Amino acid sequence: MRPANLTTVLLTLIVALTFQLYPWSGQGVILRPDFLLVITLYWVVRAPHLCNVGVAWFAGLIVDLSTGSLLGQHALAFAFTAFLALLYQRRLVLFNRWQLSVYLFALLFVERTLVLILKLFADNENPGLSYFWPVLTSIILWQFMVLMFGAPTRPRH
Amino acid sequence: MLKGVHQKLEPQESPAFFVRGPSPFSRIMFFCALSIVLMAVDSRLDYLSQFRQTFIAALHPLEMVANAPSEWGLNIRQYFTAHSRLLIENQALKQQAVEHNVMLQRLATIELENAHLKTLLKGNAPMIPKAILGEILHMGRDPFSNVVVINRGSQHTVEAGQAVVDAQGVVGQVTRVFPFSAEVTLITDKNLSIPIQVERNQLRAIAFGEGKSNTIDLPFLPTSVDIKVGDKLVTSGIDGVYPAGLAVAKVTEVRQSPDSPFAKIISTPIAGVNNHLQLLILSMPTPAEHIEAAPASVGDAAAPPATATTSIPPAKPRKEKPHASR
Repeated sequence: MRPANLTTVLLTLIVALTFQLYPWSGQGVILRPDFLLVITLYWVVRAPHLCNVGVAWFAGLIVDLSTGSLLGQHALAFAFTAFLALLYQRRLVLFNRWQLSVYLFALLFVERTLVLILKLFADNENPGLSYFWPVLTSIILWQFMVLMFGAPTRPRH
Repeated sequence: MLKGVHQKLEPQESPAFFVRGPSPFSRIMFFCALSIVLMAVDSRLDYLSQFRQTFIAALHPLEMVANAPSEWGLNIRQYFTAHSRLLIENQALKQQAVEHNVMLQRLATIELENAHLKTLLKGNAPMIPKAILGEILHMGRDPFSNVVVINRGSQHTVEAGQAVVDAQGVVGQVTRVFPFSAEVTLITDKNLSIPIQVERNQLRAIAFGEGKSNTIDLPFLPTSVDIKVGDKLVTSGIDGVYPAGLAVAKVTEVRQSPDSPFAKIISTPIAGVNNHLQLLILSMPTPAEHIEAAPASVGDAAAPPATATTSIPPAKPRKEKPHASR
């Protein structure tokens, strides 16, 4: 595992934002993974000294701004998810890849539910169950991140 | 002396093994509070729209980068479009243009006549809305809302509140304007309502978006109301936002339930938001003047004349209906 540096973190976040801004249409909107969230969580687990609750909050705020939703909705959800990841971060790095995926599934599900609750409070309509598809596609994106940048977990001896 | 040592040792805390700054819990508390304050300010007050606009403008270059691949794809597809298909399309368009020209000639006479009649009745002068052509950038990134984003913004004199139409009918209304783009809320959105008129019998009502199901609802009309399946709903023009006579929707279902005094009338929008890229952003010349003139004197000459996009018959004097007061 190479040590992560701040430039890599920022660059990957900007690339994730570009993917987030891509004009997804049709099925793409439903299946689109939460790029910014996954990348943020990856760095939160791997390098909490570089990417913490604050960075997650800002990432969420940018998602709020780019989707035109109420400011603070995604920010709150992102920050809370990063907090959950951070809470068990020292244990998470001991997990193997599949255990980590299961935990990640829970984290992403919590984030989606939190945004859903906030949206429903803000008088948006219920989007139905297809709203939770991105949880699965996000996990696929996470595996891709692991391939690209290495597992955030400690190597086995 | 001994006492001093004791004091030194006692209150000592175990040092943190890793230095990690403030604890996650204090961080999340801070950011939770910040988000809640932001949400409250954003939903109740209007302070943040400038911030939003600035940010979206700053994001514009990145958006262009993100849009590039799909644009290349479109260009490549266009390059390989068969020559014959274009020829056929050209033929059809030419024929359509001829047909439209014939209709336009008739319309010009009617408009002239209408304007003349209006001046006789001391009504408002005809108002022909100006239009800006825009293109859909994307269908909104939020699966919750019925919004499209177009590539015209405040730099192209687009303003919030303008009506947006396509070749078939009303698409929606501009709700947020950024320097190089604008957000158009579709008429199917839950929060958008539009004053309409049944083309067949000039009955006025207000249509509300249904949200997810892509339909439009006409609530609070009595079960005895004269609306049939297949009726065309057009804008009534009494709001000063939408020019009168633009097609809005077609009634697809009229249901009467015994336990409700109101009929359930469902209609589907005529405009094909999912089929077209080009949209027209209309601006009414003097909305303020129009608003105060319209409801006051509906009887004589309030309805603005048919615009170039429609062929509504010349406005007849009509009776005030109870629905207009809503």
